[in-house]
Amino acid sequence: MATTIKQSIGTWDTLHENGPFPTKNLFITSLESEGNIPSVTDRYNDAAEEIQRLLREALSLGQGFRAIGSRWSLNDIAHQRDNLHVNAKMNLKKTIAADEIEPGSSFQPDYLFFFQCGNIIKEMHNFLASKGKAMHTTGASNGQTIAGCISTGVHGSALNTGSVQDCVVGLNLIIGPDPQDNVYLERESQPVMNERFVQSIHARLIRSDELFNAALVGLGSFGFIHGVVIETEDRFLLKRYVRKINKDLALELATTLNFHDSLFKIPGETDAAGHGLLPYHYKVFINPYVTDTDYVIEAMYKKPFQQGYPDPIPAIKKSIYRDLILLFTKIAESCQNNIPKLIKLLEKSILPPPDLEITGTLGEIFWDAGYQGPAYACSVGIDHRDSGRALDVLVKLAKEEGPIPGIYAMRFVKQSKATLAFTKFPVTCMLEIDGITWTPHNNKMISLQRFSTRMIEVLKANNIPFTLHWGKNADWSFPGLVEHMYGPNAAAWKQQRSSLLSRQQAALFSNDFLVSTKLDEYVGNVPV
Amino acid sequence: MKKQNYWIPLYHIFLLAAIALLPSCYSVRLISRDGIPEPDYTNNSQDFYKNKQVHVLDTTIRLKGPEGDFTMIQNCGSGGFYSLEYRSTLGGVLLSAITFGKVRKVKVKYVCLKEGS
Ligand SMILES: Cc1cc2nc3c(=O)[nH]c(=O)nc-3n(C[C@H](O)[C@H](O)[C@H](O)COP(=O)(O)OP(=O)(O)OC[C@H]3O[C@@H](n4cnc5c(N)ncnc54)[C@H](O)[C@@H]3O)c2cc1C
Repeated sequence: MATTIKQSIGTWDTLHENGPFPTKNLFITSLESEGNIPSVTDRYNDAAEEIQRLLREALSLGQGFRAIGSRWSLNDIAHQRDNLHVNAKMNLKKTIAADEIEPGSSFQPDYLFFFQCGNIIKEMHNFLASKGKAMHTTGASNGQTIAGCISTGVHGSALNTGSVQDCVVGLNLIIGPDPQDNVYLERESQPVMNERFVQSIHARLIRSDELFNAALVGLGSFGFIHGVVIETEDRFLLKRYVRKINKDLALELATTLNFHDSLFKIPGETDAAGHGLLPYHYKVFINPYVTDTDYVIEAMYKKPFQQGYPDPIPAIKKSIYRDLILLFTKIAESCQNNIPKLIKLLEKSILPPPDLEITGTLGEIFWDAGYQGPAYACSVGIDHRDSGRALDVLVKLAKEEGPIPGIYAMRFVKQSKATLAFTKFPVTCMLEIDGITWTPHNNKMISLQRFSTRMIEVLKANNIPFTLHWGKNADWSFPGLVEHMYGPNAAAWKQQRSSLLSRQQAALFSNDFLVSTKLDEYVGNVPV
Repeated sequence: MKKQNYWIPLYHIFLLAAIALLPSCYSVRLISRDGIPEPDYTNNSQDFYKNKQVHVLDTTIRLKGPEGDFTMIQNCGSGGFYSLEYRSTLGGVLLSAITFGKVRKVKVKYVCLKEGS
C-alpha cells in the first residue's frame, strides 16, 4: 500500500519565501515499493486509492485539500489552510503501448508517455532521453513538477511551440473518494487513449474539448491531477547564442518576430538567400534604469540530435543569462541585501557581457536553477505586437513610482488552447520583472503590493490587453481582474469546473487564491 | 638582570592562532549532473540544500588495526547519492596526524537520489 505521513506544520512557505501562510497539515505520500507491487499500473492504482482515502478524510472533516508541486510558484496559488499534499514521491512513468491507443487516433504510441503528477521536469527529461525523445518545451529550469507546471501554465520562450500544458493530451483527475470520482479527460476532437487504458487506471472516460481545455490550466482547483499523457518529439539539440544588439532592433524583433527580413543575423543561422531563420527561442534582457543603446538577447536554434557535442553543463553552470532571477542575483551580489546600494548599482550598471555559445539538449540548456533565496517575480502576458508599448509603460512605472530592486525580460510563447492560459494571444510576450524582496518602509520605497496594483492600472489606462502569470506575484484581488483579462473565458472556466465537480468537491479543491480571483464561484444548474 | 623570556608571548600567539584555526575549514561538494535529489519541502535552509532531504554524518572513527583503508556504508535507497559534501577542519587534520590516522573526524553531508527517478 502507498503510505502517507502527516505533519502538523503551522505555517508553510514557497521556495522563494513569498509567505509564510498558515497551514494545518502537510501530507507526504510515498508509493509502495516495486518489489511488493511490480506492475507500474498496479502501483499507480494503489496510489490513487491512497489519495481517495485522504480526500474522504478531508471531506468528512469539511476541510480543504490541495496538492503542491515543488512549491516554486511565488504566490499562494499552491496554498490551502487545512491540508497540503506533497506529490513529489508519486513519480511513476510509463511508455504507451500501441494497443492502448484509440483506433483512428492521430497520435503515435512511440511519442506518447504517461507520467504521474510528482515527476519533476528533470526526471522527465532523463526518462524521455532514454527513449530518444524530448519534451517540446519547458520553463527556464527543470525543478517544477509536471502537475504544477500545467496548473499555472509554465512557459519558456518557444515562440512556435507553446507552453508545457500544450504537450498534454490526456489528464487523469481524482475529484473525490468514490470510484466514479476517478476521471480521465481528453479532447473530443483529439482522442488519444482507448477504453482499455482508461479501465486499466480504473477511471471514467470523459471526452470534451471545453472541459479538457478548462481543466488543463486548472490552478490546482479541478481536482487532484494524478497523471498526464504527454506528446513528445524526437530528441533535438538547441544552439544557444547570447548577443548584445541594438535596442531598437531587439524591440523590432519582439513586436514583429520577423527574423526573415531583420538586420539581426547570426552566421550559420540564415537560409540559402541569407535571410535570418526563425529561432526556436528568443529572449530580451532589460535593465529598466539604464538608458542603454543595446540590449542583451538570447536566441536558440533547433538542430537535429547528434552525439559527440561537448558537455554543455560546465558552461551552463557558469552562464548568468539563464534565469532572470539568477542574472539579477549575480548583479546584486556585491550589495549584500543593501537595497539603496543595489538600486544605485542598477542605475549605473549595464548588463554583464554575453555568455559563450552553447549547444545542448532542452534538458541541458534549461538545467538546474541556481538561486534558492527570497525573491519576487511579476509576469505580464501581452500580444507580442504590444510588447514595445507595454515595456515603455512598465519601465516608466518603475522609474517614476519605483525604483524596485528588479530587472526585466521578455519571452515569447505560442498561443495555448487552455481556457485560462495566460499565453492567450497568437504569440504572447511574457514581460517579466524578477528581483529580490525588499522592505518598503525601511527603504521608503513603493511596496510590491502597490507596484503590482499599479502595473494593472497602467496597462489598463494605456489600453493594452494583458494577462498575468498564475504562479507569480500580482494584485490577485484587483476588482474584476480575471474577467478583464479573459472576458467570457472566465465564466466558461467556472462553468466547466462546476460541471465536473459537485459543490462539495469544488469547495474541497478551492483556496484563498481562488477566492481572491473570484474563480471559486460555483455555477449551479450546469449540465453534468 | 633577569633574562627576558621571549618564548612565552610567542607561544601564546601560536596557541591563539591554533585555537582560532581549529574550527577553520573548507568543504568540497560533489553533485550528480543528471541526478534528481530526494525532495524535502519542509527544508527551508538558505543554501544549496533548500527543498532537499539532507543526511549528516558527524562522527569520529577510531581504527583499531593498522588498516589505512576504511569504508562507511550508508543506505541511500536504490538510486545512490545525488550529492556529497565533505568538510575538512584543521582540528580534524591535526587529530588524524597526531594519532597516525587512527582517529578520524568525519563530517559529511549527503543527499540521496530521488527514489524512482
Ligand atoms: C527558479 C524558478 C524558475 C521559474 N521559471 C519559470 C519559467 O521559466 N517559466 C514559467 O512559466 N514559470 C517559471 N517559474 C514559476 C513556476 O515554474 C510555476 O509557478 C510552476 O507552476 C511551479 O510548479 P511546481 O511544481 O513548483 O508547483 P507549485 O508551485 O507547488 O504549485 C502550482 C500549482 O499547481 C497545483 N498542483 C500541483 N500539483 C498538483 C496536482 N497533483 N493536482 C492538482 N494541482 C496540483 C498547485 O495546487 C498550485 O495551484 C519559476 C519559478 C522558480 C522558483
